Amino acid sequence: MKIRLDNISMRFGDFYAIKNISLSIARGEYLTILGPSGCGKTTLIKVISGIWQPTEGKVFVDERDVTDVPIEDRDTGYVFQNIALFPNMTIKENVGYSPRVRNMPEEEIDQIAKDHLELVKMFDRAGMLPSELSGGEQQKVAIARALASGSKMLMLDEPFSALDARVRVELRYEIRRLVKKLGITVLHVTHDQEEAMSVSDRIILMRAGGIQEIGTPLDMYRNPKSIFAAYFIGETNLMECTVLDKTKAGRTVLRLRGGRTVRASKSSFYSGDPVVISVRPENVYTANDGLEAKVIGIVFMGTYWRIRTLAETSDYIDYNISANDEVPQIGDEVRLVFNKKATKVFERPEEGLEEAIKLE
Amino acid sequence: MSLFKWINNVSNNERPRKAWFSFVCLIFIVLIIIPSIFVVLKMFTEWDIVSGVLGDPEKTSLIWGALWNSFSIAAIVTVVDIVIGIPMAWILVRKQFRGKKYLDTLMDMPLVFPTGALGFSVVLFWGAPNGIDIPGLGMVLSPYIMLILLHIIFTYPYMVRSLSAILEQIEPNYETAAMTLSASRFTAVRTITLPLFRAGLVTGTILCFARSLSETGGTYAALLLMNANGIFFTGPTFIKHMKEIQDPTAMGSMILISVLMIVFALILLVVVKLLIMRFKIPIKKVWPHLGRKLSRGAVPKLKDAFSIAFLAIIVLLPTFYIFTYLTQPMADIDFVALMSAIGTSFAVAGVAVVFGIVFGIPIALYIARKRDTKLGKILDNLVNVPLIIPTTALGFSLGLFWSTIYAGGSLNLLMVVLGHMAFTFPLVVRNISGAVEEVDQSYEEVAMTLGAKPFQTFTKVLMPIIQSSVIAGAILAFTRSLGETGATLAIDRSANTVPVYIINLLDAGKHSEAAFCSIILIAICFVFMLVLRLVVSRGGRHT
Ligand SMILES: Nc1ncnc2c1ncn2[C@@H]1O[C@H](COP(=O)(O)OP(=O)(O)O)[C@@H](O)[C@H]1O
Ligand SMILES: [Mg+2]
Repeated sequence: MKIRLDNISMRFGDFYAIKNISLSIARGEYLTILGPSGCGKTTLIKVISGIWQPTEGKVFVDERDVTDVPIEDRDTGYVFQNIALFPNMTIKENVGYSPRVRNMPEEEIDQIAKDHLELVKMFDRAGMLPSELSGGEQQKVAIARALASGSKMLMLDEPFSALDARVRVELRYEIRRLVKKLGITVLHVTHDQEEAMSVSDRIILMRAGGIQEIGTPLDMYRNPKSIFAAYFIGETNLMECTVLDKTKAGRTVLRLRGGRTVRASKSSFYSGDPVVISVRPENVYTANDGLEAKVIGIVFMGTYWRIRTLAETSDYIDYNISANDEVPQIGDEVRLVFNKKATKVFERPEEGLEEAIKLE
Repeated sequence: MSLFKWINNVSNNERPRKAWFSFVCLIFIVLIIIPSIFVVLKMFTEWDIVSGVLGDPEKTSLIWGALWNSFSIAAIVTVVDIVIGIPMAWILVRKQFRGKKYLDTLMDMPLVFPTGALGFSVVLFWGAPNGIDIPGLGMVLSPYIMLILLHIIFTYPYMVRSLSAILEQIEPNYETAAMTLSASRFTAVRTITLPLFRAGLVTGTILCFARSLSETGGTYAALLLMNANGIFFTGPTFIKHMKEIQDPTAMGSMILISVLMIVFALILLVVVKLLIMRFKIPIKKVWPHLGRKLSRGAVPKLKDAFSIAFLAIIVLLPTFYIFTYLTQPMADIDFVALMSAIGTSFAVAGVAVVFGIVFGIPIALYIARKRDTKLGKILDNLVNVPLIIPTTALGFSLGLFWSTIYAGGSLNLLMVVLGHMAFTFPLVVRNISGAVEEVDQSYEEVAMTLGAKPFQTFTKVLMPIIQSSVIAGAILAFTRSLGETGATLAIDRSANTVPVYIINLLDAGKHSEAAFCSIILIAICFVFMLVLRLVVSRGGRHT
């Protein structure tokens, strides 16, 4: 199903949980919604699925205005953040609930419930009650129940949050494969960036009730359009500096605090403009020459080392080295250089850097 | 403070804790349970006079008639309460609207009214020729119908409260989830919320049934005003009647009907529990179209309107009708007598509630935390006994018990207090144990691992959490004691509590004075509750 939101707002009293959101989602697209907690992610999918009526704006599904269509006729699967399996029914009855309330024949209900339980590998628990399952198992059943409704739109509100890491990874690819096969349009709220990166066609980054940025995972990672996106998605080093000049090739030449100059990617700023540069840790290298910095922290991240330094510019700068490489000692002096192409330049926010990356 | 410290240190040892708990159990058994059912024993020791009554067909038919009236009225009233109470609970819990707070307060008003005044007010409202004549028919309500209307009024709040307490705990997302799966609201409620409702339904049913069975003051007042007294009996008014007439066989009749009421009530308790727990709402079959029709448009609106109208016309208007007396000239009121009655009532209720809290908390804790042990189960069931036994029978039994032990007779007021302790005790315990069950035990465990001693853990961790339920239970017990007529009369006919005072006024035909006294009492109770709520909410804000 194709979804289109036209200037949607949801107001509680005089507080806007989401404000002026317009958005188009293609049929069969897998979208994840990222954003700090309280930014309106749940509100957005509740409005799209018809659980809440927006206070302003319209929702279109396949170009039909469904804003006033009640939930039960929306045909939208929804997996709740708090799971909400029906405690008085067995696992199988839960999964078979949607076909049952559509008055399908008994054998068909049975078949659908069975198929979907097998899908999430929970068929052996069919006769149990939800309270007898672990949190992760309950979440799997909740997903099966939503899929069993056969609807072509699915809203997932942090569906994997109670699963352990390995199951989570397995299940998310499984779900993606499945919904792609069935042609289901998915909106998936998550706080797990890796999850968002690895399963979505596009990511919606929300902040304070609005959409901050939309894009493919790679685009958003490589070319974030705002400091907030650069900061929130992945990890990055942010440094305040001033534009000095442009090279012939169009690259920006900047003066860092303390006077040293560095080069960054192309930008449209002019000499004297106050800016912020963003460079991700994997784009910072040690060299014989470059920014002077002192190692102040070393952490093994599981597959690589994360080194934290305090640079001569008084910025903290992090970089990575491979697990196999020699690590420096705390207190060592290192010289740092940045990958020019991967160093992004942003306008220095008027409200200050702190404010620009604040999560509320 | 040093006493606190001392208790705290003592509480660290298992032995004093066990000793205290054993003492509480002993008190509970000796002071409450045994006196409540003593009459059953008495029936065997006094079998001669009881069998004398059994051999007299005229008397037995009176007794069976009274029992039938009591139980059938209670059953009808409970069914009506369930049907009307469910939508009302929904409105109170799930709907947000202006004035909800007032509706909430109005709901409890019938509990504050002295039952005698309530019976009076209801007859004034419904009773032709003075009150409302059923339009066009010129029909006058029979005592049976009148009592049903009356009993609905003071059982209805219990049902709505029990149901909304459960509804509040049922995740509203269940219904939403069902609706995203294409169920209509009607189907969602029928297949998910209603089946989860059972516990509340059991509590509500038992409370309503017991309340209706026990009701004496209002029933007596209504029958009196309808000139049906001495012709139409319920169990409790029959006992009251027997106590008053000088008949050598009265004792036998009273014992017999008390025992029968106790036994039937207990059987019913078990049957109702089993029935509701076993009964499954069929969820296999659904009617999507019908469900959608019932969930939208006019039907839900009509249902809400009907619930509100029922509350207004059947419950509130008749309750407040007594205030029409305010338009009439003020009656001569014997203020000294009234104030002394009010003083007595407040003192009796106060002592009963304090007793309930002090001895009820240990029992409530045990029931909540050790429900699966044998003793836990026994206590859980025993606590219900004084609740389900009609209070008049309970009072009668208790009076027999204490007068067997102590024949002096000058301790009548003490016996009244003991009686009130017995029937208010379960109300306090039920409220507290319900609340404790909701509290995650890990709070207390964490406090203990941080080095807190058991008593300290209780006062500093658990108590602040369950405080509001303790207070709710105390208020419920207090108002229940203030309004009680049957037990008081059965223990001591000359006891000087307000409900008895008002009944006596009615008996003497002083209607206007009775009305004004009731209004004064209602005003005092209302102010008292208001102040209490204020104090409580202020205290609550501090913690
Ligand atoms: N029913 C409600 N009433 C009032 N405020 C609400 C309600 N639901 C959500 N909010 C507010 O809207 C904001 C967004 O909430 P939500 O969409 O749940 O955030 P999240 O991104 O964490 O899912 C929050 O500030 C929350 O407090
Ligand atoms: Mg959320």
